[in-house]
Amino acid sequence: MSSDNDRKTPVEIAVARHRRWWLAIVVLLLLAVVYYLVFVNQYVVAFKSQNEHFMHGSIGSETATGPPYWVFKALPVMYADKLGPEGWSRFGFLYEKPGDDLPIGVSRRVVSGVERVWLNCSVCHVGTYHLPGDPVRHLIPGAPSNNLRLQEFIRFFIDVGRDPGFTADALIATIDSPKVGGDLNVFERLVYRYAVFPRVKNAFLDLGTQLDFVKRQEEWGPGRVDTFNPYKALQFNFPMDEAHISGAALNGSSDYPAIWRQRPREGMNLHWDGNNDSVAERNLSAALGAGVTPVTVDRASIARIEDWMWDLPSPPFPVAAKIDQAKAAEGKTLFLHYCADCHGFKDANGYSYDRQRFTRLGKTVPLADIGTDAGRWTSYTENFAAEQNLLYAGYPWRFSRFHKTDGYANHPLDGIWARSPYLHNGSVPTLRDLLEPSAKRPPVWFRGSDEFDLAKVGYRQSAGADAFRYDTARPGNGNAGHEGYRYGTELPDAAKDALVEYMKTL
Amino acid sequence: MHPNSQYIHADNTALIFEELKFRSLTVKNRLFRSNISGQFDDYNGHGGNARLNWEEKFARGGIGCIISSFTPVSVRGRILVRYAMIDDDDKIPFWREVGRRVHAHDCRFIMQLSHSGRQQDMGGVENLFSKGLSSTSKSDYFHGLLAQAMTKPEITEVVEQFAQGARRAREAGLDGVELHGANGYLLTQFLSSGINDRTDEYGGGWEGRARFVLEIVRAIRREVGHDFHLQMKINGLDHNDWLYPWLRKGNTLDETVKICTMLLDGGKGVDSFHVSSGSTFPHPRNPAGDLPLNDLHRWYDGMLSQGTRAPMNYAIFSNPLLARAFQALWRWRRGKVIEGINLDYARAVSEAIGKIDPDIKVLCTGGFQHADRIAEAIRSKACDGVTMARPLIANNDLPEILAKANGPEKECTYCNKCLLNDLENPLGCYDLSRFDGTSFEDRYDKMIKQVMSVFEPPTFH
Repeated sequence: MSSDNDRKTPVEIAVARHRRWWLAIVVLLLLAVVYYLVFVNQYVVAFKSQNEHFMHGSIGSETATGPPYWVFKALPVMYADKLGPEGWSRFGFLYEKPGDDLPIGVSRRVVSGVERVWLNCSVCHVGTYHLPGDPVRHLIPGAPSNNLRLQEFIRFFIDVGRDPGFTADALIATIDSPKVGGDLNVFERLVYRYAVFPRVKNAFLDLGTQLDFVKRQEEWGPGRVDTFNPYKALQFNFPMDEAHISGAALNGSSDYPAIWRQRPREGMNLHWDGNNDSVAERNLSAALGAGVTPVTVDRASIARIEDWMWDLPSPPFPVAAKIDQAKAAEGKTLFLHYCADCHGFKDANGYSYDRQRFTRLGKTVPLADIGTDAGRWTSYTENFAAEQNLLYAGYPWRFSRFHKTDGYANHPLDGIWARSPYLHNGSVPTLRDLLEPSAKRPPVWFRGSDEFDLAKVGYRQSAGADAFRYDTARPGNGNAGHEGYRYGTELPDAAKDALVEYMKTL
Repeated sequence: MHPNSQYIHADNTALIFEELKFRSLTVKNRLFRSNISGQFDDYNGHGGNARLNWEEKFARGGIGCIISSFTPVSVRGRILVRYAMIDDDDKIPFWREVGRRVHAHDCRFIMQLSHSGRQQDMGGVENLFSKGLSSTSKSDYFHGLLAQAMTKPEITEVVEQFAQGARRAREAGLDGVELHGANGYLLTQFLSSGINDRTDEYGGGWEGRARFVLEIVRAIRREVGHDFHLQMKINGLDHNDWLYPWLRKGNTLDETVKICTMLLDGGKGVDSFHVSSGSTFPHPRNPAGDLPLNDLHRWYDGMLSQGTRAPMNYAIFSNPLLARAFQALWRWRRGKVIEGINLDYARAVSEAIGKIDPDIKVLCTGGFQHADRIAEAIRSKACDGVTMARPLIANNDLPEILAKANGPEKECTYCNKCLLNDLENPLGCYDLSRFDGTSFEDRYDKMIKQVMSVFEPPTFH
């Protein structure tokens, strides 16, 4: 028998119905908030110091490209046979101090609830040196990286993606191992098994497919990067097979540039071949090379770094006492005569970037005149420039100033001592060698040491355990050019020594 | 009194205290007590001693005619409990006694035949499981009072309830009946274009919307004949978008005039119109005044079980900031004029109806308590008489005061505390500032004594 002795009133029924609606709306709103907080909003670590931000701050590369933190931590353990006890240092990654969790140039960002890591600007723009007899390694933020072996780093990820042993079980077991210390809980293990691992595996396989051409390239070696060919493949899906890209264009590896004192460089056509006169565009473009995409780029973060590098001073020569002031004074006169018109000049008032006075500064020298290796110049094409100028279309920061040039650009030489090796492709180990005609420059030498040669100004070029054999006869590695009377390579040795002495002071 | 007025007080009183002749009713002056309600009766709608005392004191004070409290023609149509009803013949003796008491002071008595429709504040346990009958199934927008669109048999039944209510009023010896077609009650719910969303013959244009009321008028005439006073309280303008601008505005003045013309029914319909405004109750324009926040917070709690939006309102009224904001909105929507707030609407009705039948009189409600304002309203032919309620609660003998002075020494402040208290307390003036005394306790004692005076003399003595 049914009981109907406690019926609700119509108002109570309506209120209960309204309450259910409100409850549903509140639940949906809460779910939306949770969805936003967990899956949409991204979380980054902020650094008070500009320098710290440059070293460890995220520029947005993790969102599209970066592997999860625990994967990044686990890979050197899983592949200790390849990386050895050095781990990521094997590829030239630097740590500010022993025991640091992540190397310089690797930043964190929580994306879709998973902490991911990837590269920032400093991975390519922190140089190192140590003085002969002194094992202490010094870092120079803003200097070109002389250690990073980016090509080997890329190849490692491609190999991991193709490795049958790279499985979810192996990955999770490694993450949970004492060496890594992930200690994933049940939920996290499920996430890693069914969401994270398949995406990482696919990303590595895709990387192998897109950058397959890298195996046909000459070795980049430490401190060098092929700026544009991976850019073409990853950003624009350019076909990179043999039918579509010449051998000359395929090998355009260059040294990383220094990034200090950007304010006076605004308006100069730099970027090795002078393809852009906007510092901001060059920075945003370089960030794409670190793994950001036009969608994921953290422009505020990059703007902060841009502010920092705008007036970042160039580093002083590490041992001022080793500069022979008398010779430097002699070299100053020679520099003014031979070099200043293209490179600017430094006197008691500081470095002058005055393009009214130094009329060729920040301009390109036609390839036939400068005579340096054409690989880097060839790899940059008009088609590619056209594609670049479509990046960020619809936004005020859309690229508009990229263009193909006729040669290589004349850079200011502030802090030039910290930018070895020399020429755009790093084919000449020291400043002193650069003042010799190419026939007298070292045809084969070794990169990878950061022991500094205070006399010749550059890194030690002799063979070493991990040294990279740089053969100037290989495509893209040519050390010719920047020679002849106008370039000072016909001066007497004493005059060349004086020039080098002066350039230590820049 | 306006210093520049060309009329002296004697001119004004001559006008105010002039007899007013309707077709079948004569009132000794132009002052009517408007319908105002109090919970003075038995729960089941039988009248009580307090109401007899209540009505008599206004008659004693010199008012020409009393329009009763909201008098439901059925239990389904009441707004609050403990209001005397006219739903059955067994109520006739009580109303006969009311008439006798009032007539003893040469005061006329018009019963306001009423039906709450959906605007049923606290319908009592009898209505707990019913939705309010209405022209629409949409709930009231202010309190969230639920509604049920009336079927045609229900319409026929309610029409007959009104007719029988009129018959009982006549049998009780009262002087006339008024249909409460203003302020959001059932008849407004049919008349208003802002509320009536029917698609049958009782909806659509103004003629369709007025059909229900016309049927009531004709049914009443069938029962009481043409020599019994029948008047209609109606909104000049509905102002249905009063606090919620996204709602439809409701009837225009032009539509109201057309509806009034229709209700004349060729000389066989209503004898008089009583002009008000506002498509709900309460409304910033009716009763035009303030919104007392403390009283709202104290006495609105009874509505929590009645309307789906009442809990939200209560939350607003309980929050100091939101309550202030609501009060500010209320004052803004009311406007600056209180005394004579509906005069322009009454004038429009008066002009239009006067051209058709000069014998049809127009009354106007809205805060009247000064002789010069009342006289000017009559003199300007905006209306033939005024109705008042709160000023009479404040000064029960206001007509006698007006005979001697332009206004009372202690005027009604339009605070509306009487209105809010009526939800849970005896009807009376609760504005402490109007009572003399040197301390709060002293003034409060006087106020309570005045409020409780309605129970004197007691039922048994």
